[in-house]
Amino acid sequence: MTTLRFSYHMRLNFELPVREHHFKLRCFPSSDDRQRISYERVEIYPVHFRTEERDSFGNMCIYGTARQIHDHFTVDVEGTAETDINAKLRAEPHKTGLFKYDTALTKAGESIREFHLSLDPMNWMTEYERAVYMMNELYEEFTYTPGVTGIMTTAEEAFSMRHGVCQDYAHIFLALCRLERIPCRYVAGMIPGEGATHAWAEVLDGEAWRPVDPTHNRVCDDTYIKISCGRDAQDCAINQGVFYGGGKQTQEVRVIVKRKR
Amino acid sequence: MALTAEELCSYSDNVNEQLARYGVKFGIYKNGEFHEQLFPFDVIPRVISHDEFAYLERGLKQRVSALNEFLRDIYSRRRIIADGVVAEEFVYSGSGYLVPCDGVSPPGGIYSHISGIDLVQGRDGSWYVLEDNLRIPSGASYPLIARELCRRTIPDAFTGRALEDNSNYAELLRRTMDHVNTGGHPVILTPGRFNAAYFEHSYLAEQTGARLVTCDDLVVENDRLYFTDYSGRKEQVGAVYRRISDEYLDPVNFCSESLIGVPHIFDIYRKGNVAIINAPGNGAADDKGIYYFVPKMIRYYLHEEPILHNAPTYLPYYEQDMSYVLANFDRLVLKDVAEAGGYGVVFGSKLSHEQKEEFIRMMKAEPRRFIAQEVIDFQDIDIYEDGVRVPRKADLRAFVLMSDEAAVWKCGLTRFSRNPDSFIVNSSQGGGFKDTWVMSE
Amino acid sequence: MAILSLGNSERLFWLGRYSERVFTGIKFLLARPSWNGSCFDENNSESVHFSLMRAYDNAIVLRDEIGSDTFSYVQLAVYEMKNASRSRTPLVGLQKVNDNIAAFWGMADDSISDEHVRGIIKLGKRVERVDLYARNNADSEDIRREIHRLIYRIAKTGLHYDGARLSALNALAGGESINRPEVVREVESLINFSGT
Repeated sequence: MTTLRFSYHMRLNFELPVREHHFKLRCFPSSDDRQRISYERVEIYPVHFRTEERDSFGNMCIYGTARQIHDHFTVDVEGTAETDINAKLRAEPHKTGLFKYDTALTKAGESIREFHLSLDPMNWMTEYERAVYMMNELYEEFTYTPGVTGIMTTAEEAFSMRHGVCQDYAHIFLALCRLERIPCRYVAGMIPGEGATHAWAEVLDGEAWRPVDPTHNRVCDDTYIKISCGRDAQDCAINQGVFYGGGKQTQEVRVIVKRKR
Repeated sequence: MALTAEELCSYSDNVNEQLARYGVKFGIYKNGEFHEQLFPFDVIPRVISHDEFAYLERGLKQRVSALNEFLRDIYSRRRIIADGVVAEEFVYSGSGYLVPCDGVSPPGGIYSHISGIDLVQGRDGSWYVLEDNLRIPSGASYPLIARELCRRTIPDAFTGRALEDNSNYAELLRRTMDHVNTGGHPVILTPGRFNAAYFEHSYLAEQTGARLVTCDDLVVENDRLYFTDYSGRKEQVGAVYRRISDEYLDPVNFCSESLIGVPHIFDIYRKGNVAIINAPGNGAADDKGIYYFVPKMIRYYLHEEPILHNAPTYLPYYEQDMSYVLANFDRLVLKDVAEAGGYGVVFGSKLSHEQKEEFIRMMKAEPRRFIAQEVIDFQDIDIYEDGVRVPRKADLRAFVLMSDEAAVWKCGLTRFSRNPDSFIVNSSQGGGFKDTWVMSE
Repeated sequence: MAILSLGNSERLFWLGRYSERVFTGIKFLLARPSWNGSCFDENNSESVHFSLMRAYDNAIVLRDEIGSDTFSYVQLAVYEMKNASRSRTPLVGLQKVNDNIAAFWGMADDSISDEHVRGIIKLGKRVERVDLYARNNADSEDIRREIHRLIYRIAKTGLHYDGARLSALNALAGGESINRPEVVREVESLINFSGT
């Protein structure tokens, strides 16, 4: 059992005033087989009304409306997570099939298919082992480079450049697994240190989801706090919203995760 | 004394004049410009005998019940996939499958409140289902108002005929809305005047007494949906018969680039605080690929043999079907599952050698994208054109409305192709419509 | 009391105004037939055809408020306008347009059960009439009468109006000679739909 303290801070700055701002936030880790979450603070500003729900992947969401005119929007979440590396993240069998199929962001094109053909997994490998093997090969082929891809970059686009960030690693990894119809899902979460959110993946191994981190080429340990999962990054969008006005907007995100001793 | 068909035809202009008077139109975009067009009406009705319709009625209720079960299943337990009856790929990679609907149980357990099932009658008299429309099937308003105007224009045509009254459509629709209403007003949500079916939206609102609203009139607050009236008062809305498609329903949850839609309406729908008619995500069941599986669904969920037949259909996705399609390419009709409205339909026999090669290459690359069907030899129906009666292809859209029980409207939209060589009856491609007379004895 | 959206209340008001603009416009044409056909120019905002199409634009989205029967007279007026523009006797054709506008008003009055819906159309009509009469140098007596009809109508609509302007209109109507530009100014700003 490991105890981690986490804080998530987001601030949206709008160049021009915004009104009738409808938002849906997905930045709240929830308790499952592997982690137990307790919250100390959840603050959203400004807000006219807000309410909670779980989406169809079981992710916690808070949605609502900020009617009054504002030029910035902030979200602050703090709490602790107790994680258990040995616990199995049980899968509901009827909810795994969905994760075998492409989405727009994870669809393999020429370059991913070609790479996939060049791979040579051992035929004794289980699906999970094949996935880990593909993760190793991807890690050799791809270079972590911030700033060349964006949130809407597809797996295929990123892979053909051979450069990208954690979201791209995860998407390409998912694309490879889905070429083999191995159920796998995208995970948004936090890891120790100070910075942005992180992204990794979960692969179905028998009756459990096993988290792996393609960016670091490793199996996830007890320092990973999961926020949400879905078919791809879009399902895990931290902030969805519509509003009037705004002009250019900039987003600041600060995530801090520390081991509690 | 009932009129002969010839006598009836002589009133054609008078009836169309009446339809024009009431603005019975549909909208169409040509070169990016919006036009309103009259929907050409042919006075010769399609007549369906009492017994024949009773048969259709049983078959339609059965089919819609199975489709409703299917929707409930694929958004919850997914037994039909686990049991290998429907290939999961057809469910999950269809564009109509909406993941956010997973785990939602709509009010009353009803997904397809208003279903429009397209049928054709073969030359041998047997009926075939061509398509299930479970999203926003339109068209009921046209025979509804046409009947009324025909009765006014040609009362003699109805004298002495034992004909089912069709004027109860609004009542059926209102009952369907009220049955699932979670508390509050019923409304009809239209994208606005520049929608193809705007006449229908406004006419059905008038006839049902439900308020016609656009997205701007609705607002979500504290997990409830409200309509704001002109004095600023908020009235709760409990049932939304929406005539806008899923992707434009809620910009926060679906298409965030658009400002169309009602922010958060989907969130409160998930919580059971408003009924959306028809349910979001229904596209998963009326996909052209899923069509193939409907008879299997009927056996699986209802343990009954299908009463209505599908047109014989092949899925190139299955190897066996692919070989059949390749061997019989020239006599099949091929359809792209992603297209609608009569687009993406190709007759094998009409392709040149190169086009055929190209098509087969595409089909082999993406077998999931296509279905192939035997060409049904439609029974032609006479229409009156330039003073003479001529035979044309026609289909029938039957409407099934679900409230505490399924009800088939004893009428339907008969659409015909005005082009003698065409099988495509869609109004967007120049077709016209007829009334459908269901005999009561 | 029916529930009526702000948007529809505004459309009803403009349906009233534009139908009046067509009706009085045609009445003026019939009274002083100096004819050049420009009244059929759909793109000229001064023409009766233009005004009729704007009435139609509002009516078509109000079918459920006013009913198909009431709506049909606006639709018929549009067809008659097209016929008139092609007719050898265009003024007679325009008279048929006005027959339908008059029938539209009559049917609205008779068949719309909600008094606010009915009242707002009539208010639009009254506002427009005062406006048109004042702009077109109608008799002081006529303007006075139309202002009084407007004042009588306004409270029955539930619309928000500017009380100060209403008093000003009342005062203008009571004056010895009527200041027409003032009347136009006051009546144009009487109703405000920007929300509550």
